[in-house]
Amino acid sequence: MDNTAVSPVLEMRGISKNFAMTAALTDLSIKLYPGEIHGLVGENGAGKSTLIKIMTGVYAASSGEILIDGEPVTISSTQVAQKLGVAAVYQEPMVFPDLDIAENIFISHHNLGPVMNWRALYKDARNIVEQLGVSLDVERAASGLTLAEQQTVEIARALSLKVRILIMDEPTASLSAHEVRQLIEIANTLRKQGTSILYISHRLEEIFEISDRVTVLRDGKHISTNAIGAVTRGKLIGDMVGRELDEFFGRVPSQATDHTLISVRNLSKADVFTDIHFDVRSGEILCFAGLIGARRTDVALALFGIAPADSGEIVFDGNPVRIGDPQQAMDLGISYVSEDRRKFGLAMAMPIFANISLATLRRYLNRFGLIDRQGENAAAEKYRKQLNIRTPSVEVDVGKLSGGNQQKVMLGKWLNANPRLLIVDEPTRGIDVGAKAEVHQIIRELAKSGVAVIVISSDLPEVLSIADRIVVMREGRQMGIIDGDIATQESVMSLATQFDDSKSAPQPQLV
Amino acid sequence: MPSSSKLAGALRSYFGGWELFLLAILIVTIIANAAISPFFLTIGNQINLFQLSIEKIIVALIMTLIIINGEIDLSVASMMGLAAVTFGWGFQQGFPMPIVIALVFLVGLAGGAFNAFWITKVGIPSLVVTLAMLIGFRGLARVLVEDRGITDFPEWFDALGQQPILGPFPLSILIFFALLIILIVVLQFSGFGRKVYVIGNNKDVAAFSGINVGRVKAILFMAAGVISALAGLLYAARVGAVRGDVALGFELDIITMVLLGGVSIFGGSGSLFGALLSILIVLNLRNGMALANVTGHVQTGVIGMLLILSVLLPNIRAYFGNLYAGRKRLKQRDGKRA
Amino acid sequence: MGSIIERMHPQTLRFTALLAVLFLVILFFGTQIDNYYNARLFNRISTSVAIIALLAAAQALVVLTRNIDLSVGSIVGATAFLVGHLLANNPGMSPILAVLIALAAGGLLGAVNGVLVAYGQVPAIIVTLGTLAIYRSMLVQFSGAKSITTNTLPDWLLEMPRTDVLSFGNLDLRLTVVITLGVVIALHIFLMRFRLGRKFYAVGSNPEAAVVAGIDSQKVVFLAFVMCGALSGLAGFMFLAKFGNITVVAGLGLELKSVAAVVVGGTNIFGGRGTVIGVLIGAILVDLIDTSLVRWDLISEFWRDGMLGLLILLAVGADAVLMQHLEKIRQQKAQLKHARLMKAKIRPNRAEV
Repeated sequence: MDNTAVSPVLEMRGISKNFAMTAALTDLSIKLYPGEIHGLVGENGAGKSTLIKIMTGVYAASSGEILIDGEPVTISSTQVAQKLGVAAVYQEPMVFPDLDIAENIFISHHNLGPVMNWRALYKDARNIVEQLGVSLDVERAASGLTLAEQQTVEIARALSLKVRILIMDEPTASLSAHEVRQLIEIANTLRKQGTSILYISHRLEEIFEISDRVTVLRDGKHISTNAIGAVTRGKLIGDMVGRELDEFFGRVPSQATDHTLISVRNLSKADVFTDIHFDVRSGEILCFAGLIGARRTDVALALFGIAPADSGEIVFDGNPVRIGDPQQAMDLGISYVSEDRRKFGLAMAMPIFANISLATLRRYLNRFGLIDRQGENAAAEKYRKQLNIRTPSVEVDVGKLSGGNQQKVMLGKWLNANPRLLIVDEPTRGIDVGAKAEVHQIIRELAKSGVAVIVISSDLPEVLSIADRIVVMREGRQMGIIDGDIATQESVMSLATQFDDSKSAPQPQLV
Repeated sequence: MPSSSKLAGALRSYFGGWELFLLAILIVTIIANAAISPFFLTIGNQINLFQLSIEKIIVALIMTLIIINGEIDLSVASMMGLAAVTFGWGFQQGFPMPIVIALVFLVGLAGGAFNAFWITKVGIPSLVVTLAMLIGFRGLARVLVEDRGITDFPEWFDALGQQPILGPFPLSILIFFALLIILIVVLQFSGFGRKVYVIGNNKDVAAFSGINVGRVKAILFMAAGVISALAGLLYAARVGAVRGDVALGFELDIITMVLLGGVSIFGGSGSLFGALLSILIVLNLRNGMALANVTGHVQTGVIGMLLILSVLLPNIRAYFGNLYAGRKRLKQRDGKRA
Repeated sequence: MGSIIERMHPQTLRFTALLAVLFLVILFFGTQIDNYYNARLFNRISTSVAIIALLAAAQALVVLTRNIDLSVGSIVGATAFLVGHLLANNPGMSPILAVLIALAAGGLLGAVNGVLVAYGQVPAIIVTLGTLAIYRSMLVQFSGAKSITTNTLPDWLLEMPRTDVLSFGNLDLRLTVVITLGVVIALHIFLMRFRLGRKFYAVGSNPEAAVVAGIDSQKVVFLAFVMCGALSGLAGFMFLAKFGNITVVAGLGLELKSVAAVVVGGTNIFGGRGTVIGVLIGAILVDLIDTSLVRWDLISEFWRDGMLGLLILLAVGADAVLMQHLEKIRQQKAQLKHARLMKAKIRPNRAEV
């Protein structure tokens, strides 16, 4: 793509942003051309979110200027950003559950006059949804939509505003492979219509697939911008972490022992999953792969007693067991690390030590029910060292840590329970490359020490790198189990999907 | 003065900024009151000021735990009324006193369990459930005594509410301090207290950590029922008479005390130290205003204003703090350019 | 039948259910109380419901935005006293001016709440708990603890509650009832048909998303409190006309009654969901049961409050259980549809364990 001929639609020059003590962005410059998809990558804390918030008027830059069509502009609020044609779609979509989908799409139109014209609204909404090539009933309330559907609503919202610059912040982090394909198609459609897209993702495969150029940020500074054809994966990662990382996706021989720790037979839960059937041995890493909606998390919740199964058998360490609530699961030695730190994992406004001891509070109580604070601190310090949690002190509130460090605190919380079976759900979602490698290392070491590990992951390269065996699920059914040493992306996906080839793998659009 | 700043630092690290602010207000109030009236600092007046609001401040203690837990109980005052009236009714029926008193506590426990059932089992917000029972418990109280008043309780009972039993202290004040100490230990140092905070912070996280969220909440609401019943009994003993409108509207005063004490209405943060300071402020402020001939409604108005300011002022400070920081940065940048 | 219920919009369903309950309650009392269906009862209930329904509609505006206004009872008392005081001193004041003063005074008090909540970022429950006391104490200060009495008020005001707009035989449609109905209908149109009204729902439904969508949430919340205050002022005016005697405790406890009617009327206490028409039915239901129990010989009238408390719980409990059930059925259907759309081409092959 030859950019010298056209002028940038958006240009940011020398942008800096300081919070109370720290500089989130330093002298950052970036240009967006019409009809380009511009990848933006960087570790967590590199300043991507701050950059987006400045572009959309949530934050004001401390210094620097923004030009749109060569004219300097001040983006003082989201309304102003929308008027200028800038909008964002976030990883966690912002929909109004009580409003119709149509209303959700047009909520940002503030100049349609004071009176609602419902009929016209529904008609326009249907048009936009059709444009995106998806089927959604625009007259139904948005409550109960899947994450992917909610994102579609947000993209439709941006589309309705006739945006010229669309920011997509980790749009695929929680989508299934099929949904990712759909999203990429939508992005390509928009690009053809002349929209510029700033595409932020941790998944480098996607960046390579759809972007025209890619910019790397590190520590709030601009590191590099290159045409996608001019960079390699290794170079991008090197730019992101500031060092070359090689082979962190490499496989390690299985550590599995002969001892079958848990056997699951014919596990079923009405309308959720049916006939789940697997064994995990001590020291083994069993991965659950599948698309969103495959109900993998539901199986984990059943094993952990949060939403017990209706029928089927679980044999744990040779004994048939019933697991009716999390306490029973924990008594058996089962730990479950949730996929959602914020919602289910950590008490963000409480200190690290209180989170580490949370699942095992009983251990720190004396006979009067009082807490042994020294014991708590000792445990917290132990995991701070062992898991390399970067914090000035274990008294710091967890909410103040970076995503990767929060993930480690959550692991520490469950390791502290000395699990015999550890279930980790999407352990590396939304954390940066460096922290991801560390988490994989921790999981492998656990397995080596004899813990049986179940990893639920939507990140196929991750699954292929750490799994001893892979259970593939689709819509509540177990499609098969593949040996990790022979599994390939194709073999897993063919079990996990059931779409015909033309649909599941659309040809990348050539620009 | 390095030693005093060190002390302030130690205090701040222990109490947090909010409690220090309350402490300052309390000291100002006490000094002002002492200046207005020479009687203010007498032990008699201090006991009197506690005793006049003793039922409210006892319930405020358990309310602190409930609000930290992320819930609210609007039905406490109606439960106090129902308990007082149950006592009066039982007495009038001629039941033996121990049975009457046991019955009162049973009513408190049952009422709390009823609240807990709708909140934890049916899943209705506590604001709605306890609003309904604010009306409901009061209604039951009215059913029991209709529009009559009951009085002429045994002398020993009235004396228990009015006469000192240990030094200058009457029973109710001793109960208050005993409960305060027990609840401080429970909330700040026990596993149950930790669960209360965690649930207030995020109840899903608590459930995923194996904490039985429903049980903790149920215990708290039942405790609130029992303690409200106790407060109702103390009211009956202190006043020596009960009617259907005992403790009418007390819930708002009680919640005000707790929130003024820096307990977050959204749950998860706050402490009994803060609540205690706020209780002392409210009591002294009311007492001072009464000494200065300010009427009860206006006293409540002043406390209402204090409640709003207690949240508003930190917000304003944060707002101007940001402005100031922004201006300072601009200056630095201009300086650099020059 | 089942499929009709499943297809209905939850809001419509909720409304229908409320109407059905109201109907059943009327039928029930008809069998219990002699001469229940007469015009006098209709007139009495309709006039007594006018004030609480107006107040509940006002409260609903605030609740929709995920807030609460506990000061409405004090606003009613304060405006009733203020207008009564002005009328006693200026008997020649025109009715229109008196109403405007009530609206303005209430709106001003509501604006104070609104500024503190929307711009001061203080939680509504704290602000209005405070102003509940402050407005009441202003009333006490202003009145010098003296009351307004009927004999100081102009005749037109005292006759207003008995003024008919329309009569069908003995069935009278009183002016206060018509005003309340008018306000409720106007609010309904505002909330359903006006873009600004939809923003009340948006802000309550997801405050964070509202900011991102470029909705000026602060303005919306502020406006909700001002409207709530102004309508409470109007209710204060009606209160004055109905009772004539205004003491310092006028309107005490109305805040919780209004919240009760809002909740029974199917409004989510956490915002974003509910209609003012539903709230009107909720207020009627609450007041109807209240009034009818007085006349029911079987039990003492002192059961009224106990029944009201239980009614609130049952209404909200049934709603919660029903909606959960419905949502589940809907999700299952959606899944079935989804599964059919993505009809399998690759046969699932059960692998060995």
